[in-house]
Amino acid sequence: MDGDSGPENIAAPPAPVNPAIYFDGTSSRRHVVTLAFNDALAINAGDHTLATWSYADIRRADGPTGLLRLACLTAPALARLEIRDAAVAAELTACCSKLDTNLPGQRGVAAIVGWSLAAAISIVGVVWFGVPLAADRLAPLVPPALERRLGDVAEGQLKIIFGNNICTAAPGRAAFNKLVDEIREAAGMDTSIQTAVLSTAIPNAFALPGGKVYLFNGLLAKAENADEIAGVLAHELGHLKHRDNTRNLIYNGGTSFLIGLLFGDVTGSGALIFASRSLVTASYTREAEQNADTFSIEVMHRLGRSPKAMGELLFRVTGKEVDKPLSVLSNHPLTEDRLKRMSDEDRPPSGPPLLTPEEWTSLKAICTPRPSAPQAK
Amino acid sequence: MNQMSSVPLHPPPVPEEVSFSGARGEFRQLVARGAGLELLTFGFYRFWLATDIRRHLWSNTLIGGNAAEYTGRGKELLFGFLFAIAIIMPIYLAYFLVGVEVERFKAFASTPLFLFFYLFGQFAIYRARRYRLTRTVWCGVRFWMSGSGLAYAGRAALWGVLMALTLGLILPWREAALERYKMRHSYYGDLPGRFEGTGWAFFKRGWWLWLLAAAPLLTLMLLPMVQFIPRLAPMAKTITAISSIVALLILLMIPFIYGLFKAVEWRWWLSGIRFGDVRFESSLVNGALVGLYWKVIGWFLLITMLFSGYLFGCAALLAGINHTPVAKLFTPANLQGSIPMLVAAVIGYLAFILTLNVVMRVYLLRDVWARVIASTTVYRLEAAANVAAEGELANALGEGFADGLDVAGF
Repeated sequence: MDGDSGPENIAAPPAPVNPAIYFDGTSSRRHVVTLAFNDALAINAGDHTLATWSYADIRRADGPTGLLRLACLTAPALARLEIRDAAVAAELTACCSKLDTNLPGQRGVAAIVGWSLAAAISIVGVVWFGVPLAADRLAPLVPPALERRLGDVAEGQLKIIFGNNICTAAPGRAAFNKLVDEIREAAGMDTSIQTAVLSTAIPNAFALPGGKVYLFNGLLAKAENADEIAGVLAHELGHLKHRDNTRNLIYNGGTSFLIGLLFGDVTGSGALIFASRSLVTASYTREAEQNADTFSIEVMHRLGRSPKAMGELLFRVTGKEVDKPLSVLSNHPLTEDRLKRMSDEDRPPSGPPLLTPEEWTSLKAICTPRPSAPQAK
Repeated sequence: MNQMSSVPLHPPPVPEEVSFSGARGEFRQLVARGAGLELLTFGFYRFWLATDIRRHLWSNTLIGGNAAEYTGRGKELLFGFLFAIAIIMPIYLAYFLVGVEVERFKAFASTPLFLFFYLFGQFAIYRARRYRLTRTVWCGVRFWMSGSGLAYAGRAALWGVLMALTLGLILPWREAALERYKMRHSYYGDLPGRFEGTGWAFFKRGWWLWLLAAAPLLTLMLLPMVQFIPRLAPMAKTITAISSIVALLILLMIPFIYGLFKAVEWRWWLSGIRFGDVRFESSLVNGALVGLYWKVIGWFLLITMLFSGYLFGCAALLAGINHTPVAKLFTPANLQGSIPMLVAAVIGYLAFILTLNVVMRVYLLRDVWARVIASTTVYRLEAAANVAAEGELANALGEGFADGLDVAGF
């Protein structure tokens, strides 16, 4: 029992042959041991053998510099043998042929790199082909009720951002409804669509999921004739018809999630994620915009009016866009390209004007309440 | 039996050394290679890099002459992450649908739902700590942890509410309470842990840091309001000037305040840890870590300058090839279509973040660790000399959640 020396025995003057420290893995007790290189490695405390480790089962464990720390496959998982003496360490290392087999070596790293590349390629493939396909297939399956709810949410936020001022001047309202009905019928869409003019100086128009279209007064102010506004409204109806909002939602959710999977915690990778996401998303929305333009052109042809008017209105609003930096990141096609496309589709008007000059004047004034009827309900 | 072991060598508690033996160059090489592989693998190498970093730090940490060991593996972290993603995905979807319903009721009303993710993040922090602790081995016996991640998250959330109400002044008591919970459920073999640091002791050491941080921030918030006092209205310009000076001052003070705070926190935390009779003590001085933060800032500025120089050089070189006058070099039309310029910029940016990651890990992980460890002594270590092994390995799901939710904790 004397051989079971505790930690205090380290300082014992005559150093035994091959002094090493052994932990048996069942307690934290520190055993000063000697090693005997027999058929298997014998770990002895005095004349008492604590353990016998077969050389083929000995594996290297992590240790500080200058210390050889070993574990054994057949011993308790946390049993450790620690050798400080370089000569003994070298002798033992020479006996153990499989010392480093479970540490990730060159081949392990190569495997990680290979699998990561495969995973990355698969994720990029899914983002490029799979998610758009899923968005196209899933969007029609989203129940209209849920779409309307999404629309309500977007509407609430829209009204907080742009103000909740719906323009209600009666003659303007009548002209607007007439215009919308004409386009709606030509587009072959039912009466569930709700439309309104919102009083804000920003020149824009929105289609919300579930069938709501908002025209901003700022765009109306820049328009010079009814055909220009008709083209824009037809474009927004195109978004509704193609369910672009819902498709975008599914697409954006999918791509953010997948691209976020890559580059977990690399500091500074935020910019990479942002850039790559913007790049893919932009090309997707550009395509949706192009399709909505196509839809608008078809509707205008059906009405016998020129699609070119919308292009001219857009050009008036944005100006030339080609000089702006990084057009690959833009989510709309360049205005000049859209104008060119719509000009190419220009035909002499074959249908009646969509609004009479009087109706057009009242539409332009939809957001100015008539002084004669202040706050008329 | 064991007559010799039970004879005490010295009657009073003997302080024993806690030391760090890791070579700086070795760690630098490890993280440089790791950062390169991380880029090469689109970030997937992070699981193996985190494991290698911990293996290095753990196995070079010697307590009373015996080195610790980290037995976790990268593959475990990867699987934990994959499982976590599979669980987080439907949660995100549910979060989205609940959000839609709440928003319908009132616009932007869904904002408080992020609280759920705060709770989830705290849960992840607890579970990740449990994983790390069960992979920590010293003298052939592992540490382990019981307790409930949910109970912890609940506590953390309640303390979080108090934090918001007191503008962070209650932080010491929050940390003490949470640490007591964590340590009460931590064990080394059959030796139970506990935490004896008190909020009051932490507060006494660090209250002035709170003042240093809060006072300029409050000034910055209140100053613009002075303009609404009619008598002071003519001074608007002076007030704006003062505001910008205060803002600049805060910016310069942040590394100092944060470095001081971390040192105070480390010292208080280490000095409160107990395992049975084993007691730790840290003598970390307040200013011990400030220099490290400034070094990182210095490196960051240097690397940014090199990166800008590189971009300018590339642009000039391309302009030279295309015979564009330098004046026109940086017009949008010139930069936009230039694919070579974009490629050069991306390569430069990758090198930039690679270097930055190496710098941050060397200074803020390795050097902080080495300084903190070097300041520590341990008393009555003999109480841990014959501890029976106990405790089960925990899975890496918590680490996966922490990765997926981008939270970190200790």
